Amino acid sequence: MATQHRLQIGALPGLSNWKRSLLPGLTVLGLVVLARLLGLFQGLEWRALDTFLRLRPAEPLDQRVLIVSIDDASIQQIGTYPVPDQVVAQLLQTLAQYQPRTVGIDIFRDFAVEPGHQNLLDTVAALPYVFGIEKVLEPAVPPPPFLPPERVGFSDFIGDRDGFIRRSLLGTIDGAGDYHFSLALRLAEHYLAAEQVLLSNGIQDPAAMRLGETELTQFRADSGGYVGADAGGNQVLLNVRSGANPFRIVSYQDLMAGNIDPTWVRDQIVLVGITSLSTKDVVNSAAVVADNPGLVNGVELQAHAISQLLSAVQDGRPLLRVWPEGWEYLWIVLWGGAGMVLVRWLPTPSAYLPVIVLSGLGLLGGSFVLLWLGGWWIPVVPTLVAFTLNGLVLPGFYLYDQTLRSRIDERQRVIDQTYDAIHNGPLQTLAQVLRQEDDERSWEQTLPKLHDLNRELRDIYNMLLKESQPQSNQLSLDSSQRPLDLQNPLHEVLYAVYTQTLERDFPHFKSIRVHVVKFEPMVVPRLTLEDKRALCRFLEEALCNVGKYAQGTTRLTVTCLCANGENLIRVQDNGQAASAAPAAPPRVGGRGTQQAQQLARRLRGEFLRSHVSPKGMCCELRWPVQPPRRWNFLAPKQ
Amino acid sequence: MPAPQPRTKILVVDDHEAVLGGTVAALEKQYAGADIRTARTAQEAADTLALALPDLLVMDLSIPQKSGETAQTDTGIQLLRSLMQRYPDLNIVVQSAHVKALVRLKPIIDTHQAGFTIADKNLPLREMLTKVDWALQGLIYTPRDMRTGLEVKPEWLDVLQLAFQEGLQDKAIADRMNVSERTVRHYWTKVQDALDVYPESGKNIRIQTEIRAREEGLID
Repeated sequence: MATQHRLQIGALPGLSNWKRSLLPGLTVLGLVVLARLLGLFQGLEWRALDTFLRLRPAEPLDQRVLIVSIDDASIQQIGTYPVPDQVVAQLLQTLAQYQPRTVGIDIFRDFAVEPGHQNLLDTVAALPYVFGIEKVLEPAVPPPPFLPPERVGFSDFIGDRDGFIRRSLLGTIDGAGDYHFSLALRLAEHYLAAEQVLLSNGIQDPAAMRLGETELTQFRADSGGYVGADAGGNQVLLNVRSGANPFRIVSYQDLMAGNIDPTWVRDQIVLVGITSLSTKDVVNSAAVVADNPGLVNGVELQAHAISQLLSAVQDGRPLLRVWPEGWEYLWIVLWGGAGMVLVRWLPTPSAYLPVIVLSGLGLLGGSFVLLWLGGWWIPVVPTLVAFTLNGLVLPGFYLYDQTLRSRIDERQRVIDQTYDAIHNGPLQTLAQVLRQEDDERSWEQTLPKLHDLNRELRDIYNMLLKESQPQSNQLSLDSSQRPLDLQNPLHEVLYAVYTQTLERDFPHFKSIRVHVVKFEPMVVPRLTLEDKRALCRFLEEALCNVGKYAQGTTRLTVTCLCANGENLIRVQDNGQAASAAPAAPPRVGGRGTQQAQQLARRLRGEFLRSHVSPKGMCCELRWPVQPPRRWNFLAPKQ
Repeated sequence: MPAPQPRTKILVVDDHEAVLGGTVAALEKQYAGADIRTARTAQEAADTLALALPDLLVMDLSIPQKSGETAQTDTGIQLLRSLMQRYPDLNIVVQSAHVKALVRLKPIIDTHQAGFTIADKNLPLREMLTKVDWALQGLIYTPRDMRTGLEVKPEWLDVLQLAFQEGLQDKAIADRMNVSERTVRHYWTKVQDALDVYPESGKNIRIQTEIRAREEGLID
């Protein structure tokens, strides 16, 4: 039975079912879209982005950026902290021997740290490619007073609400209304200027920055998975360089001891920063592959920010890109819709799970490849949620609902069938006994009827047992007769019902002299076995009524045919309505009529019972070959 | 009308060699020079008929679908139904020991356009030859126990009315009923079968029909 139910899911029955199945899917879609608009997916989308960025295959080492790290060992060797100006000055002088193109000192120098301040002032004055840092966002840290403003960049990063950094701030206005550039941008600009690549305003978006031909698309408050983020200043998404060793890092001691290859420095950008764990110059980034998951040295993140600018300009490496908001929601709706469609189109339930899982994996893989090769950050989590909910969870509900419904239907069917069997069999016999006139009521006449009754009642159980077989296509009217095969053409089955019923022992069959019968092929394209069974029962019941009530009938007319686009089953007699029966048309009200009316409704036809003149009854059921449709009024009536 | 012609073509279908031989021998004796072919299975019969249509088909009801399979009444019924649908002008004689099984096909037999007779296998060969003769004349014969009392179709009643109450000839009846004259003749043979009126030498079949129809109350 279970297979039957499942098949019904794919079978697309009536409109009501469509509503039933479409509504939950659309609701899910609506909820997913709403949740994303409200920012409920933001955290998950961030994590998906981080994960995807981290999973990318390693990119080659970026030779253009060298990091000189002052780590815990260096500080121990220096012996004091903050690092004195003397140390910084010596470091710069050492670097100068190797002729770097640009040097950024990622160490705050807003006030003098003696000894050696004067030495530092002189050194910096002699080396025009040295840049210093400031912090512009609150709490602000002033720039080194000994550097002109154009040789200072800010080191600020803007963290997301979960504390992780995914954006790079390129420029912003401070509280006094002055515009500041970031260290990364300053160093990149200085480095590229040597190759005649200059910083200017964007072409597509004049508010954006442009390095040569590469426009640095501004981050918006709702870019990608973000909802209502702080998009102040000029920001870009941070497309960190993948791999465990994106940059070459040398320690302060190695540099001072000369343990480096001069080509590492010559004509490159050198970033000097503190990497000592005790100084806490660390930031959170889950996108960078790091020893301490989530923790990255500030100077390394600066290197990523510089590297992404240089790579974009010189190597054509994409910055992170996002779709317009509308496209993102269209994408989510499309996949949610795909989930709904898959549910209905897949013919076999066994193929269902693999197809959904493969499609889901395909979505994940596709999104990853887009990010990896194209830098496209497209919505993954909400799309996957909409798709799996519609493709995997809702069908479960449908199935449950369907099973429940069909179980209820099944029970109703058994009840109906049982009652039909009792009504058309033993109750008819009983009616005969009760209708005998008083003077006929002899034991000799009644006894055989009681035997019949006994047999008929016992037969019902066997018959129900047989008919309740799932694929039963048989109908037995009477256990003494051959069961009818409902798969034969309808008019043949009906004819068999007619012959079998007329053999039964009803008082008014005996007087019939002429049977005018016409059984011709009927047009029944969508008739189920259940409908056929009901039609047989209808004919049986109509004939039984003639046998019971049509006193003195001499002619029985039975017509089963299809004409003028209508199927017709009609039973007509010319008997006198029995005195006991009411004169009004529903000679036999109750169950029989109910059955017939139900059947007529189901077939969208009509059931009629009427008197014919001069005497007799006519009982007919007619139903259209094509069920009436809304546009029927356009067609000429036949 | 397919009156017996010098080269009557007959196809006999039966899976029992002995019965087949007996039937063929009797037919050869009756219709000298007839072209008689035989088939042993439903498949073979259908194939043979597809090649060329004979004047008459004599078939057993209990036959196998293919050689090697067991003979079943149902197979014969299915074959008969499809043949009547495909060849409404084929004269048919059905030989069977269980005539009751044919009740199912009554609706299609009633609409069959050509001769159709049923020969009970339990009766002598002479009876069979009579049924063959009737079928070749386009007549209808069904045994009484295949019918539920007197059973007629509305069209047949119309023919009786027009013929015996208005005294019309077949041509006029056909015009009035808007059918071909040939169809009217078929209606006659069907109603005659329903009334148990069959050809008898020295008797006028139309008058016999009228007498019987009045007896049964089909006409006033």
